[in-house]
Amino acid sequence: MGNALTRKLESYEPLSTEDRHALNALVPRMRQVGAHVDLIREGDAPDKVLLILDGFACRYKVLPDGQRQIMAYLVPGDFCDLNVFILDEMDHNIGTISQCQVVDIQRKAIDEISTRHPSITRAFLWCALVDGAVLREWLVNMGARTPDQRIAHLFCELLTRLEVVGRVNDNSYAFPFTQSEIAETMGLSNVHVNRTIRELRALDLIKLKGRVLTILDVDRLKAYCRFTPNYLHIRNTRWGERRDLAWPGQAAGG
Amino acid sequence: MAGRRTVETLVVMQPIAVDTGSPDHEGRLVIANGLLVAVLVRLEAPEHDEIGGWFLEVGFGRLKGLRAPTFLTLDAATRWLRGELRP
Repeated sequence: MGNALTRKLESYEPLSTEDRHALNALVPRMRQVGAHVDLIREGDAPDKVLLILDGFACRYKVLPDGQRQIMAYLVPGDFCDLNVFILDEMDHNIGTISQCQVVDIQRKAIDEISTRHPSITRAFLWCALVDGAVLREWLVNMGARTPDQRIAHLFCELLTRLEVVGRVNDNSYAFPFTQSEIAETMGLSNVHVNRTIRELRALDLIKLKGRVLTILDVDRLKAYCRFTPNYLHIRNTRWGERRDLAWPGQAAGG
Repeated sequence: MAGRRTVETLVVMQPIAVDTGSPDHEGRLVIANGLLVAVLVRLEAPEHDEIGGWFLEVGFGRLKGLRAPTFLTLDAATRWLRGELRP
């Protein structure tokens, strides 16, 4: 049982024992951060990569009138942009939602691991592409799904992402988000979030108790919001057949 | 024209039942100077934080997309609406 990062990367790319050792070497400088603490703020110069090993964080912006918009959730195994230090300053904030275990990865460590471990490099690139795909799906969510489907879709997405990193038991997972945080994520009012969760409960699709979300009928919830997990690009090599993936310029071998 | 700014917006609240897909049914059509500008709904579902308060369900014109606080009374809602609709 590896840490959340290793588990996530392994769902994209088979890793060798050396790869896993190299990833574990990134982790010792771990720190505990409380809930609702900013890890980096808009305008800050990014000098390291943040990795969430446990807990939930988010990317957000605050408008001049105080309105907050959350644009992404970071779950265990997620890190903020790998090459973020290319940029001069952050254009958004990253803050914790629950208590988190955070690792600060120095640029040098990323450079070293990238030169020596091609599988890890490929898995890192895969992560970046998936982050972009998730953002696109969230755009579709905001623009084209009804509020009920939007929230159901988020629940399905979290189930899938958390399952990869071993944070789901019997279709239940930790759900530390407040009603306001869901509202700020989904572009809805607290009242509408409330009514939607009430409706999903009444349909026996979910149970939300003690900050644990249980999906009572996964198939029905997925059908309800037409959830298609293709955009998460999970190819778990332990349980699934891996397709033949050739690098550009290489002959696609059999 | 000079005196126009001193004339308060005439706000009329007309009771209406609203289907919100929840127990929140009791509503008011808010008519300002003869135009429908908003629908308020009373929060009744036990899940809400401010049960009994009035929620801006939808706004039209200048109230479109605005996030309003939940109002304890219809008078408080009227005061807020007048402020937002001031010429």
